[in-house]
Amino acid sequence: MAGTVWSQVQKDRVMDISVTVILTLMMLTMLYPFYYVLILSFSKGTDALVSGVYLWPKNFTWENYYHLLRDPKWYQAFLVTVARTVSGAFLGVTFTCLVAYGLSHRDLLFGKVYFIIVIFAMYFTGGLIPYYVVLRAVGLLNSFAVYIVPTMLSTFFLLVAISFFREIPNELKEAAHIDGANEWTIFYRVVLPVSTPLIATISLFTGVGQWNAWLDSAYFVQSEQLRTLAFRMIEVINKSNAPSDAIGAANSVSTGVTSYSLQVTAMVISIAPILCVYPFLQKYFIQGIMLGSVKG
Amino acid sequence: MDVNKPVTRSAAVVWRSQLWKRFKKQKLLHLFVGLGIIFLLVFSYTPMFGILMAFKNYTISMGIKGIFTSDWAGLKHFEEFVTDYRFGEILRNTIVLSLLKVIFAFPAPIILAILLNEAKNLFFKRFVQTVSYLPHFISWVVVVGISFAFLSADVGLVNKALLQLGLISKPIDFLTNPDYFWGLAVGSAVWKEMGWWAIIFLAAIAGIDPSLYEAAQIDGAGRLARIRHVTLPGMKGTIVVVLILTIGNILGGGLVGSNFEQAYLFGNSINNPTSEIIQTYAFKVGLKEGRFAYGAAIDLMQSVVSVTLIFLSNYIAKRRSGSSLF
Repeated sequence: MAGTVWSQVQKDRVMDISVTVILTLMMLTMLYPFYYVLILSFSKGTDALVSGVYLWPKNFTWENYYHLLRDPKWYQAFLVTVARTVSGAFLGVTFTCLVAYGLSHRDLLFGKVYFIIVIFAMYFTGGLIPYYVVLRAVGLLNSFAVYIVPTMLSTFFLLVAISFFREIPNELKEAAHIDGANEWTIFYRVVLPVSTPLIATISLFTGVGQWNAWLDSAYFVQSEQLRTLAFRMIEVINKSNAPSDAIGAANSVSTGVTSYSLQVTAMVISIAPILCVYPFLQKYFIQGIMLGSVKG
Repeated sequence: MDVNKPVTRSAAVVWRSQLWKRFKKQKLLHLFVGLGIIFLLVFSYTPMFGILMAFKNYTISMGIKGIFTSDWAGLKHFEEFVTDYRFGEILRNTIVLSLLKVIFAFPAPIILAILLNEAKNLFFKRFVQTVSYLPHFISWVVVVGISFAFLSADVGLVNKALLQLGLISKPIDFLTNPDYFWGLAVGSAVWKEMGWWAIIFLAAIAGIDPSLYEAAQIDGAGRLARIRHVTLPGMKGTIVVVLILTIGNILGGGLVGSNFEQAYLFGNSINNPTSEIIQTYAFKVGLKEGRFAYGAAIDLMQSVVSVTLIFLSNYIAKRRSGSSLF
């Protein structure tokens, strides 16, 4: 009897150790790539090409960042990306909340018809090519608006917002109504202030989506001034995967900055904001997927 | 008020005036909703009607109207795609990539969730979990950039390390060799989305009644046995729902990263024989070469296959396990 108990304890220990080891390894494969890119961005560009940089930056330098922020191609892309993220998230949240607030009224006339239109739009899409034709017809192509206008309303977040607004106790709205508030005041003064979790979740996901988007910058705009960070990164990767690759060519001999080191630096800049908001907004990230699972 | 109204007024008129009153009271709400509906009509519904172009002789210069006024072409575009010399290859790539992703990327978050649930140290567990879904928020562009930093033949860390260790004599072309593309796509999808989907499975595990574990323990079940007989059955419902969702979008990449983004961003002229899928092909033919009607037809074929798969998987799930989506 004692023997089997002992072996059970032993088995448990083996299990604990293997779980810890596997999880640790997995965590490292998730973390190290980010760290590696970070130390590359602080290494001298030409050094990063030849010899191995593994744990620490080699010939620590700010040169890559300095160069990137002075290169009009890159800093403009950075500004465009920031602008589309901020305005896109703001516009998306505002519009989604307005429409959702209207739809959240159970006594809304034609409410059923509106709902059918929304649900149908959620499950069916026309595909990219007819979509492009529409963007072209409404004159959005090759303008900054193409980044933020067609993405203003996501049917998924619309439904999430509707169910959120419906959860708000009616007493709140009624009290405001008795005090003489009209629909707008109720929305602005009563409903929005208690909807912070909803607003945070939607702006977060819309913002991340805007920050990461690349297809629209590659195909819906031609103007070089409107290119985003993601587009510039694709550009470098495509160039360096081409058979006659020239990423090793230093842009400037004295600083050792290469197009590869610039690309890596751009990647760090592109990851950094997400990493910064990450710890604070984790619970909203989780909320996002849980809202998503409700739909399933 | 009503008392003063003539009794002879027909019910319909009263009803209409009441309706109008209600509408007037809600006018601000209708303004909000109306804007939303207009938005959907423009950006969702017009493209849906735009699919018509797949059956027409349409060129982009005809604008929106041309979609409706252009001549019918029947199934010409579909025939052209099916007889395209690359059709077989593209169809194979689409299906193989999708299946590989379901086979490997679907179980990964389940395994991760179980492992996390077995971790005893709460801080360690939370830390690993936090790290694990970080890649979900990074764009595919950056993921491709990271793969480049690790796997490229001339600057990739993996190649450099292997060379220094003397394990290989010349760098491996992970990113350009067609033989590596599927592994690359599946591996990066697992890396990026495993932690994210583990959240849902962890929630499912959290919902399991703890007394079941105690009962199993009393019955002499070891930890592995408890995983098999308590944890896994407890997750079954969630697993089936997520599996149905995955299969419903199988050609799009399941839930783990879009096939299109992966094939497009990891694809290049050298690994094209394995990286070209229906969607990227439609995109290239349609937008890059300007053959919009043909591109739309190719896209539509993929949707038809997808819808078939959704209903098929739902039907099978209903018969096998009783849980289904609709």
